Amino acid sequence: MSLLAESLPPLLTATLMTIVLAVVSMLIALVLGFFTALARISKIKVLKAIASVYVSIFRGTPLLVQIFVIYYGLPQIDIQLEPIPSGILALSLNAGAYLSESFRAALLSVDRGQHEAAVSLGMTYGQMMRRIIIPQSIRIAIPTMSNTYIILIKDTSLVSVITVTELLQMSSLIIAKTFEPLTIYLIAAAIYWVVITFFTVLLDRMEKRTSKHLVQ
Amino acid sequence: MEVIKLENISKRFGTNEVLQKINLTVNKSEVVVIMGPSGSGKSTLLRCMTFLAEPNSGVVRIGQTEVKAGEKMKGERKRLIRDIRQNTGFVFQQFNLFPHKTAIENVMEGPLIIRKMPKEKARAFAYSLLEKVGLSERCDHYPSQLSGGQQQRVAIARALSMEPMVMLYDEPTSALDPELVREVLQVMKNLAKEGMTMVVVTHEMGFAREVADRVLFMADGVIVEEGTSHEIFNSPKEERTKRFLQ
Repeated sequence: MSLLAESLPPLLTATLMTIVLAVVSMLIALVLGFFTALARISKIKVLKAIASVYVSIFRGTPLLVQIFVIYYGLPQIDIQLEPIPSGILALSLNAGAYLSESFRAALLSVDRGQHEAAVSLGMTYGQMMRRIIIPQSIRIAIPTMSNTYIILIKDTSLVSVITVTELLQMSSLIIAKTFEPLTIYLIAAAIYWVVITFFTVLLDRMEKRTSKHLVQ
Repeated sequence: MEVIKLENISKRFGTNEVLQKINLTVNKSEVVVIMGPSGSGKSTLLRCMTFLAEPNSGVVRIGQTEVKAGEKMKGERKRLIRDIRQNTGFVFQQFNLFPHKTAIENVMEGPLIIRKMPKEKARAFAYSLLEKVGLSERCDHYPSQLSGGQQQRVAIARALSMEPMVMLYDEPTSALDPELVREVLQVMKNLAKEGMTMVVVTHEMGFAREVADRVLFMADGVIVEEGTSHEIFNSPKEERTKRFLQ
């Protein structure tokens, strides 16, 4: 029992770091993914190309490699980032690429008739997107967005390799002292489960709220 | 006074000539019904009037705004096309109501966002339009909670919300169950009586007989014949028209 009492406080503190990493990256990825999606469906070729290259690179390479490039590689060209910003940058860029794909699909899935109804009233492209297309695509995007966020929370554990003391790193540190890998890793797993379930419920609620117009 | 003037409007989809040099003038308070077999180009003609479909050549004039077909979508031209669209109410076969907005929000959207009306004023105006189509007590319902006929009436109110010079209807009752057709046609008849200028693509002959000042019969991308509903239905001159009416 003393093992639990001793290890739980530092594990929970480290969980806070995991949550900070996840939440900050989620917010940045959200903005990044959103604008990348808009760029990808826009008619401006340069924007489209930049966005496609970005998505292709970050979906096409392992997150761990991205973390290494940012933390160990960039200093060589005089860009030095602390471990935590490096981790957040890698996680945001990675999740942003995935989110942009969900958003793009959601934006494209809004019925053609909605575009026509909006422009027939005399709306500009911006008014149509802001008032009609984007609000409808959010509901469609939430389930896949939910998936990306679950993966993002799990992926925060990869940041442990660049010395960020988040949940997994702390677990390993405690195990080095106590030699109790089974118990400690199980506790860590349980904490991940609680955090992820919390976010899943939150997004489910959001989906329900944005779907209220569909209820008979 | 001319509200719509189309000159030599042509439209191709690939090598298929859907519209061949159509000329058409619609005067104020006139109700024009366009009939014809499917694929005759009647919906495309309607969509070309507001550039929902870009004609390949010709000139469209709505009110005082004139736009040439087939030119690049640049700033000034975009603005003119928006101007045309704001002056024409378009009613779709599939209603195309905004599903995430209630009936009254659908009708308020244009006044609020495009005409920049204050919210309370826009709401009162939208309410009066819903009253006009007989749906004021449904104003807080979402489209999914309304019948097809009710949805189409809301869509008509939404089209009226920009106070257009002319209303265009693209087969407004074709997606409706037969028992719901009448309520929509009734709303359209009332508007015609008030002097609204209207162009209606429809298969409803009863409506054409009762309301139309002029009936156009289209086939293969041209206007084959035009006249009063009496002339077209009772003594058609062209072979194509006769065959269609049989």
